This record gives sequence, C-alpha cells and structure tokens, in this order.
Amino acid sequence: MKILLLLILLLPIAAAAVVFLVRFPSRKGLLLFTGGALLAETALVTLLACLGNVSMTLFSMTDTLVVALETDAVARVFMLTAVWVFLPAGVFAFRYLEHSAGEGAFPEHRFYGFFLLSLAALMGMDLASNLVTLYFFFEMLTLLSMPLVLHDRTETAVAAALKYLFYSIAGALAGLFAILVLTHAAGTASFAPGGHADAFAASGNRGLLLAAVFVGIVGFGAKAGLYPLHGWLPTAHPAAPAPASAILSGVIAKAGVLAILRMIYFYAGPAFLSGTWVQTVLLILALLTVFMGSMTAWREKILKKRLAYSSVSQISYALFGLFLMNAQGLTGGLLQVVFHAAAKSCLFLAAGSFIFHTGKISVTDVKGLGRKLPVTFGAFTMAALSLIGIPPFAGFVSKWYLALGAMDTGLPVFGWLGPVVLLVSALLTAGYLLPVAVDAFFPGNTDRAADAPGGEGGALMALPLILLAAAVLVFGLFSGLLTPYFLDLASNVLAAG
Amino acid sequence: MSTYWYLPAILLPAAGGTFAGLFFKNEKAVRVFCGTVTCLTSALAFLLILSGTEGLLEVARFSDRLVFCLDLTGPGRVFASVSASLWPLTALYAFEYMDGDPRFRSFYSFFTLSFGVTLGIALAGNLFTLYCFYEMLTLSTVPLVVHTHTKEASRAGRVYLAMSIGGAAFAFISLVYTVVSGPALPPSAVSRVFWLFGFFGFGVKAAVFPLHFWLPKAAAAPTPVTALLHAAAVVNAGVFAILRLTYEVYGADLLAGTPAQAAALSFVLFTVVYGSFMAVREQHLKRRLAYSTVSNLAYMLFGVLLLTPAGLTAGLMHMVFHSVMKITAFFAIGAVNRHAGIEYLQDAEGLGRRMPVTMACFTVSALALIGIPPFAGFVSKWYLLAAAADAGTPLAFLGMGAVLLSALFTAFYTLVIVRKAFFPAPGAVPARREAGVRMLVPLVLLAFASLACGLAGRYFYNVLAETVSGIPSGQWGGL
Repeated sequence: MKILLLLILLLPIAAAAVVFLVRFPSRKGLLLFTGGALLAETALVTLLACLGNVSMTLFSMTDTLVVALETDAVARVFMLTAVWVFLPAGVFAFRYLEHSAGEGAFPEHRFYGFFLLSLAALMGMDLASNLVTLYFFFEMLTLLSMPLVLHDRTETAVAAALKYLFYSIAGALAGLFAILVLTHAAGTASFAPGGHADAFAASGNRGLLLAAVFVGIVGFGAKAGLYPLHGWLPTAHPAAPAPASAILSGVIAKAGVLAILRMIYFYAGPAFLSGTWVQTVLLILALLTVFMGSMTAWREKILKKRLAYSSVSQISYALFGLFLMNAQGLTGGLLQVVFHAAAKSCLFLAAGSFIFHTGKISVTDVKGLGRKLPVTFGAFTMAALSLIGIPPFAGFVSKWYLALGAMDTGLPVFGWLGPVVLLVSALLTAGYLLPVAVDAFFPGNTDRAADAPGGEGGALMALPLILLAAAVLVFGLFSGLLTPYFLDLASNVLAAG
Repeated sequence: MSTYWYLPAILLPAAGGTFAGLFFKNEKAVRVFCGTVTCLTSALAFLLILSGTEGLLEVARFSDRLVFCLDLTGPGRVFASVSASLWPLTALYAFEYMDGDPRFRSFYSFFTLSFGVTLGIALAGNLFTLYCFYEMLTLSTVPLVVHTHTKEASRAGRVYLAMSIGGAAFAFISLVYTVVSGPALPPSAVSRVFWLFGFFGFGVKAAVFPLHFWLPKAAAAPTPVTALLHAAAVVNAGVFAILRLTYEVYGADLLAGTPAQAAALSFVLFTVVYGSFMAVREQHLKRRLAYSTVSNLAYMLFGVLLLTPAGLTAGLMHMVFHSVMKITAFFAIGAVNRHAGIEYLQDAEGLGRRMPVTMACFTVSALALIGIPPFAGFVSKWYLLAAAADAGTPLAFLGMGAVLLSALFTAFYTLVIVRKAFFPAPGAVPARREAGVRMLVPLVLLAFASLACGLAGRYFYNVLAETVSGIPSGQWGGL
C-alpha cells in the first residue's frame, strides 16, 4: 500500500529521466512511452484514491524537517483532478507540438520530460501531510514547470518564464516565513483537520500569528493568481504552448489553492481565523481578483491571454469559497477547483487547436471557424457555458454553493457583496466567452472560414477536447452524486475544528 | 593524543609551504609535495578532532597576562574540520586550474602555508593567540590575492592588506582591553564599546558592511584562492573570531539586549540585503559570487548575534554548509573561466551544452544557496530563521524578513545563470569542452555534499548543538 505512494512519485520521475536521457529511435516511440507513462500514472492515482487512507514518511532532514505523504479526502480530490487533466493535455501535446512550436523552440522531448516532472511535484504537493513537505514540493513544482513556459524560446516566453519563477519563489518565501513563525507556535508542522487552533490561541502572540498566516496565504496565493501577486499569470500562461497553459491554469494554479486550503483548514484552523481581520481582508482580495480578472479578460483581444485573465478571476472564486470558512463555501470552493480545472483546460486546448489550425491568436479571427472546427468550438462552447455557470453544466453547481456559502456567512457585508460580485463576474464571463463561440458558429456577413484548412487535427487533439467537454456536462448532470461527497468532506473538516 | 600534536598540525604545512617556496624548481614536484603535505595535515587534524584531544598547550609565555597557547575546543573543531575537508579538494582543483602558471612556486607555497595559519586560528587557545594567527593569515594570503600581478590584482591586494591590518588594529584594542581588565569583564558600557571595536575589527574579514569591499575586489585572484580563502577559510576566520570574542571572551550575558548588540545586528542585517542586492546587479560572475559571500557571512553573524544557543548553532551550521555550497559555485565558475574563457554573465549562453557536468554542479549549488529543500542551504536557513523566531525581538523578525528577501535575490542572481546555461537563446550551439577530471572530481563531490548535508541535517544539528552547549561563556580572556 505504501509502495503505491512511492510509485506515484517515482514513476513520472523515472519516465522523465528516460525521456531526457534516452535517444528514442522515432518520434512515435517517444510519444508512446510518454503516453504510456501518463496512462500508468493515471491508473495508479485512481487506484490509490479508491483505497483507504495511506501514509508514509519519505525521508527526514532533521527531527523537525520531515517529508511525509498521506492520502486524505482533500488529497484525493486534488490528485484525481490533476492526473485526469494531465492525461488529456499530454495526449493533445503529442499532436500540437508537431507543428506549432516555432523553429527556435526547444526539442520536443524536453517538454515531455518537464511535463512528467511537474506531475511528480504536483502529486507530492497533493499528498503532503505537513507544511515542510508542502513547501518542498511547492518549490519543486515552480522550478520544474518553469521550463514549460520557456519552451518556445521566444523573448516573450523567456521573460514570462522568469517572471513566473520569481513571483512564485517570492510567494514561497513569504509562505516560508509563515511556516517558521507558525510551526514555532504550534510545535508541529503536521496537518490535522481543524488545524491547531488551540495551540495558537494559547500562545501569547495572536497578532503576530495572524499576520504570519496572512503573509503565508498571500504568498501561496501567488501560484493561484490572487491579488496582489497575480501579475505573472496573464503573462506566463499564454506564453506557454497550449497544453502547458492547460495544466498551468487547470491544475498547477490549484496547487496554490491547495496550499491555502491546508493552511486555513488543516493548520491554522477556521476556529482561529474566522471573524478576524485576516478573513475579512482575504475575502476582499478574493472578490477584487474575481472582478478585476473578469474585467480585464473582457477587454483582452488575444484569446489565450483572455483565458489567462479568466483563470485569475475563476480561481479566486474558489479562494472566495475557502475564505468563507463555512461548509457550503468550502464545498463550493472545492467543486470550483475541480470544475474549473476541467473547463479551463478544455478552453486552453480548444484555443490551442484554433492556433494550430489557423496560426492566429486573436479572438477577432475565429469568425466562421465553427463550421471547419466543430469539435474544437463545440468543446469551447460547452466549457464556456460551464464557466459562466449555466445549468446543467458543472460550473453552475459550484457557483451555486459559493453563493449559498456567501449568504450563509456571519460576516456583515459579504452576505450580499459576494453574490453580487459573483453575478457581475458571471455576466462579464459570458461577455468575454460567448462572443467567441457565437462568432465561430454564426459569423454573419464576414465569412473568414476560407482561411482555415479543413478538418480537425485528428484524434489526438479531438479526444482530449471531447473528454473534458463531456466532463463538464457529466459533472453537472450527475452533480447529485458528487456534491454529497464534498459536503461531507467540508463538514468533517469544519467539525473537527 | 597528547596536546603536543597541535604543533605539527600547524608547523607541518607552514614548514612545508616555506620549504616548497624556497627549494623546488619543478612544477610537478611542487604539486606532489604540497598535495602530500596538505593531505597529511588534514589527516592529522581529523585525528586530533576525532580522538577527542583537548587541553591547553602553552607554547610561549610573554608576560604574566600574555600567553601564546593552543587548545582544541568545540568551535575550533568545527572550523578545523571544515578547513581540513576543503583544503585537499582545493589543492586537487588547483593542480588543473594553475597548470602552466609561471608563478606556481609562490602559489603552492603560500597556499600550503595558509593552511597552517588557518589551523592556528582554529587551535588558538586564547584571544591573543587568535589575534596573532589572524594577522599572519592576512600576510600569508596577500601574495595569493596579487598572484596574477595584474593591475586589478595588485589593487585588490593593497585594499585587502590595508583593510585587514586596519581591522586588526581595532581588534587589537579590544584584545588589550580584555587582557587588562582580566578574564571576568565588567558588564558596563565601556566593555560593550570595546566589544564593538573587536566586532568591527574582526568584521573586516567577515565582510560586514561597510568593511566588505575588499571581498568583491579579491575576485581578481585565481579561483582556487577566491574559492577556498575568500569563500571558506579567510572569511570564516572572521566569523569564527567574532564568535569566540562574543561568546567566550565577553559573554552573551554582557551583550544580550544592549544597544551594542542592536548596533551590530543592524549593520549585519543591512549587509544581508546589501550583499545579495549587489550580487543581482553584478555582471562579472566571480564578483557576483563574492557579493553572495558577503551576504551569507552576514547570515552567520545574524545567528551569532542573536546571542542564544539556537542562534549560535544555526550560525555555525550555516558556516559549514555555506562553505561547501559556495566553494562548489566558485569551482564551477572557475572551470568556466579557465576552460571557456568566460567571465561575464552575458557570455554564458549555452554553457550547459558546453560544460554540462560543471553547470549541473553549479545548479545544485544555486538551489542549495537559495535554500530549496532538501539541499543543505534550506536546513541551515530553517534553523537560522527558527532561532530568530524563537528570539522574538523586533530586530530578530526584521532579520527573518531580510534573510528571506535575500533568498529571493539569491534566486535572481543564480537562476539567471542557470537559465542562460541550460535554456539559452536560439543561436550557435557551442561544442562540448568539459573541464578535466581534477576539477570535476572536487566539483561533483562538493555538489553531492551540498545535497547530502541537507539530507543528513540531523547529524550536523546534533553535533553542533552539543558543541554549542559546551562553550563556556565569558571566561576566555588572556591567562
């Protein structure tokens, strides 16, 4: 059983080592190997998620610095989401990287190598059972995903990758400050449902501890695009090749959400943070990001950049839910994590398909392409509807719970401000996504479809799109089966506090 | 082992170095001789340390209060082990780096001589003896700094000499005060002022702002010199001297919570940020690492000046780990200097293709210096910051912020080099021309050590914590 935990980390690392070091005789061989590795990893993670809770200590640097893993309900959610987004994105890349990378780009196998390594780091983060492990894998994730942003090797890509690197490291160091101050007060770095609220309340320095938690959350929030450390996201996500953008927005950004979740619910404790200035300021930051992200997306013309701003906004929906610190808010936040991962990765892959087939990047160039690229724009439309929050798509369910959580909160203003901002943002989301879909299928007079070469990019691009688009519909239709699991998780975590 | 064995530990390399300088003509013969002497000395040093030899050995008595004596105590053991581990590796590296250099005799003789003097500092039995060896270290390392005899090197040597002598003069004043006022120093403002003299006096070698600027200039020296002396031995001697002055001569009780501590800490914290900030701006690779050393020395002093056992343990830990990490980085950049002729950042594109092993080792040292787990630098930074959190004073928290900011700067100034090396802009791919085995073996060993020290952090922490608990406070004046 424990060997499974170790395998989940080692398999992608070993596969990456092979990809970097072995000269595959043909491109097909490389793709089959990488695909096989991704598939095997997906199977292992899904298997692990179905088993009971497993834990193991990987190694320890000193008595206080222990790197240890554990599966719990939260780990399962994040792990499964990650691996089921990495798989289609990877498969999509097999076709995408064939032609669309510029002449100056790095050799293809480098992409797959760092893709696999990022997956390993992400698994480590999802399974982390204490703050030190979380921090370790958080740093590793930054370092190993940076080369993905850099892949095209253009000046913008290099600049974007360095921006990503330094924002993330700055955020991680802010997180480290928090970890040091808090572990000093709590005496342990381990996660426990409900956190160590009593230890913190007992220690004298409440003000300092609250400040430390705040600094830590803002720091980890850099990965999740939370204002004020969001500046790198709209530059880095578009600069990466589309499959990398998909996993960056879809799951790597969620690593930031996970870190914050662990900090609030499993370390500091909602009992310690509820009703404090920390909660209030964080809620304000989240809502600010939600609004600002949508506003900027609305005005952005480059499709991938528009989707990146959308991510900034949508991920903060999840953070808003987390910051509410009640069962429905947490449920909404977790559902948003899963559903946004599916929808946004689908959108990025669709954008990638658009770029692959036309060489264009702007939203003004999609007119009429719905006819030539039905799978691409069909998937785009479905994902867009989910993101806006239109039933029966999944996004509706997550936003419903977020609104419920907001109205349920004891705090004065957010009971109405939250739903209002969510609503305005939903309208803006419709405003920046629907015109793309409409333009594609109903071009009106200016029919530019003649520019597009015929036909979709083959099964390798179409199947991932179909899988993810189907996911947002299926999750929505069968949400009745899904949400009790999340509600249960949320109430367990909050009850323990 | 008898305490008389302290003497050969110092005299063997000193005599060996002098002998080599005077009588050898052939480069290969000098190498073999000095290499052997270095290894023998290291072996002897480790024998002394591991056999638990301790006890005062009086060498010469100048007066009732002025005794020249040797002793092997906790901090001395730490400093001696670091020096004894790194000197042979540097010798091996120098065999290749200095190959064909016309002034090889001068290099190897002073290199070996300096080893003896450094062990003298480690083995110093009182402040007076420490001071004597400290001055000797300046004199024996100046020829190494000016080795290439270029204008830059000569200037660097003059600045180094002037500042070190100047600093030692202030330290001398502090020494005189402690000898005159007897072993138990009165806890008065006067004592604290004299401590400050000593702090800033020894602080020249420890590169405390504004007395640091000889160190970036010394990057003009050949890499084995910069790596060992100015990243490990000379600068660590400064920290070591301050450590012993503060804990053993004056005593933590005399200084804790006083304006003197606050003043010293302020300069140190400024140095933490200043050093790494200047490193970000510096385009010359070796000078960049020199500024990085300035910053990292300040981390160690921050730990020491917290005046708690936890702080001292962390400071010592960083002394050990930083030496390993920084030497790795210097060796890598030195290999790049020597084999690719590259000195400036802008020329570093594609180095990863040209010298993959070297740059891989540099990357390891970079990650370690930033403080990424599980590398060594993370463990020492963790304990340093935890000690600061423990101390809980406003300056301690400011220090935490300074160290973390410096870590971010460290990421800037090292990862940009890594990026250029392994993710270069499109252009001609340079042919592979890796460094030779005599450089690569120390490089790889040290890079590995940068990781291993982190993973084995527990062992180091326990040894150092025990060392710290054994330090007698404030009784170590001239006897």
